[in-house]
Amino acid sequence: MELKFTEEQEMFRESVREFCQRKITPVALEMEKTREISIEIKKGMAELGLLGCTASPEYGGSGLDAVSAGVIGEELARADPTGSIPVFYLVQAAWGFVLNKYGTEEAKEEVFPKVIAGEYFLGIATTESDAGSDVGGTRTMIKKEGDGYIVNGEKMYISGVREAAEGGGGHLTIAKQNPELGTRGMTMFYLPLTADGITPTYIDDLGREGISCGGFAIDNVRIPKYYIIGEENKGFYIVHEGYEFARGLIAVICAAAGLKSLENGMNYIKERKCFGTAIGKFEEINFRLAEHYTRLNMLRDLAYKSLWTIDREQQGKGSRFETSKAIAMAKMFASDWACNAINDVMQWQGAFGYSKECPDQAAWRAIRSFALAEGSKEMMKMIVARELLGKEFIAYK
Amino acid sequence: MRFIVCVKEVPESIDVKIDLKTNKLQEEGISTTLNPFDQFILEEALKLKKDEDEIIAISVGTPQTKMVLMKCLALGADKAILLSDNVFMGSDSFATAYTLSKVINKIGDFNIIFCGQQTVDGNTAQVGPELAAQLKIPQVTYVESVDKFEGQKLVVKSQTDEGFKIVESQIPVLLAGIPPSSFTPSLPPLRNIIAAQNKPCIIWNFEDLGGPKDKYGSAGSLIQIIKVYYPPPRKKGIVIVEEPTTAVEKLIELLNKDKVI
Ligand SMILES: Cc1cc2nc3c(=O)[nH]c(=O)nc-3n(C[C@H](O)[C@H](O)[C@H](O)COP(=O)(O)OP(=O)(O)OC[C@H]3O[C@@H](n4cnc5c(N)ncnc54)[C@H](O)[C@@H]3O)c2cc1C
Repeated sequence: MELKFTEEQEMFRESVREFCQRKITPVALEMEKTREISIEIKKGMAELGLLGCTASPEYGGSGLDAVSAGVIGEELARADPTGSIPVFYLVQAAWGFVLNKYGTEEAKEEVFPKVIAGEYFLGIATTESDAGSDVGGTRTMIKKEGDGYIVNGEKMYISGVREAAEGGGGHLTIAKQNPELGTRGMTMFYLPLTADGITPTYIDDLGREGISCGGFAIDNVRIPKYYIIGEENKGFYIVHEGYEFARGLIAVICAAAGLKSLENGMNYIKERKCFGTAIGKFEEINFRLAEHYTRLNMLRDLAYKSLWTIDREQQGKGSRFETSKAIAMAKMFASDWACNAINDVMQWQGAFGYSKECPDQAAWRAIRSFALAEGSKEMMKMIVARELLGKEFIAYK
Repeated sequence: MRFIVCVKEVPESIDVKIDLKTNKLQEEGISTTLNPFDQFILEEALKLKKDEDEIIAISVGTPQTKMVLMKCLALGADKAILLSDNVFMGSDSFATAYTLSKVINKIGDFNIIFCGQQTVDGNTAQVGPELAAQLKIPQVTYVESVDKFEGQKLVVKSQTDEGFKIVESQIPVLLAGIPPSSFTPSLPPLRNIIAAQNKPCIIWNFEDLGGPKDKYGSAGSLIQIIKVYYPPPRKKGIVIVEEPTTAVEKLIELLNKDKVI
């Protein structure tokens, strides 16, 4: 057994870390006010090859595997407490992986070069007002018409709506094509948010200020045939591959954000004195530090293992089910454990920890989203239980 | 044209510990990187490189030094050679320059040798000049930029104590570079890091270079390090927290006591 990153991955880390120190960390908290990722940062990420990094080299990507994509996510999460840049990155890495694997040549040639250059945003749109965890409850419809398709419906709580609607790009979207077939009648397709018939709306989220969240109404939007991702009616299966990629990255990102926050906390508790001594000497504090540190490293290991499982599956050495289980295990506690650690770090910093100047509060608000985004923690339990006991033990089937 | 760039692996932080028993820096567990002076001069070499030219990065180090050479490849070097052997251990700048000269002679033809002016750990600034002497070629040190390179001639800007001087030289020449304050090291993008994995990175040992063994490593060194120690800790200062007039009175009193005034 060897637990080690490759030389190449270590080099990715070095480049990305240096970039983060130069360009992201010094200005990250400004995103709480500007509510966008600056063009300079996007350009820098693009130059380094971080955007759409899972796309194959023939489309301008680097064809990164999941573990390597995790290394980058980890560094970005350490650098940006608002979590905006990690989200901007991970969504495009994960759904870029799906577009790369299942998209048509024409779609890839159209979308990837612009995603990779930082001009387009590539997102995911499954959730609707009445359908979140239960993707089968989707109401958006896709219908064949002529040599293309017509889409109608509405998506909600979607990351990167403004980025795609104003800057260009779109979302891999799921809709029902044959409702009578349930989840077996769902199709995935690329939906440009600049298309006629798209009306965006915005939601004021608790955190991740640098990236927008919102919804969009889809009114008789026409899309060409080459926008279909994979086969018709296979959307429900394809979407899970993307979710899993994203969930593995999220688990790494949660661990990284939590560990970074603990580093901030350690610096503070070594310096801050109460009752004549450093508060880091109080076991109420340092025992918690030890517990969080241990838990977050368990999470980090599990998260990388889950990404490694994806890579094994892609190499034909593992099964879909193994991946689903490993990923769900990694994401299940990711947000909770990281948030608990960050919450304690805020507590150690007293009133300062509750002020907007404290980066940890931004991290807490960002990481909290991952108990829901790309699949709730409860759904992760459902997946693990299903894999352990079998489908017949799903209560409401 | 063939350009050879000499590079060194150095500790990432200057905050390194000394092993007082062995008189060496504690190397275990510290992260290392490409000497910043070397990255600068490599980037100068890359600016001169045309498609048909070749840049070879060479380094004397341990097997771990490969990471630093891989970075050179990711930054744009075409080929790397690592000199790694126990025989090379304990080299001072003279023995290092000897080893590098043997490598360069083995490579064969070259047009320009590029070195960092100094390293952030050793700080001797000797390897470049010693190497030029061993190779019997001219050298320009403290090179801040290569401003012109045409035919067999180049013009460089070189820092001096008072400012800078413009130097014209024939090739072959050795240039020892020092980054201007405006220099920001380039970061290799992912695709170049990936491409670097397919570029040749060769490891040579003592047998590959040949020659008398006692010219290499500590045996071939002119300097022997007898003792390495930390500077004695500075005594704690005195902080006077008083109204300005009282503070000044107290300060004068203390200075008088210590016979400073
Ligand atoms: C910041 C943010 C960004 C997001 N970005 C995107 C995006 O880009 N694209 C996208 O498609 N979606 C996105 N989402 C939506 C996210 O995927 C959903 O919030 C998530 O899937 C849960 O769906 P829901 O909100 O409709 O909750 P529901 O599905 O209604 O669930 C409500 C609660 O009930 C729990 N629950 C449901 N069923 C069970 C059960 N069987 N057993 C136990 N508990 C259960 C859930 O876990 C949850 O806690 C985002 C969400 C957030 C918060």
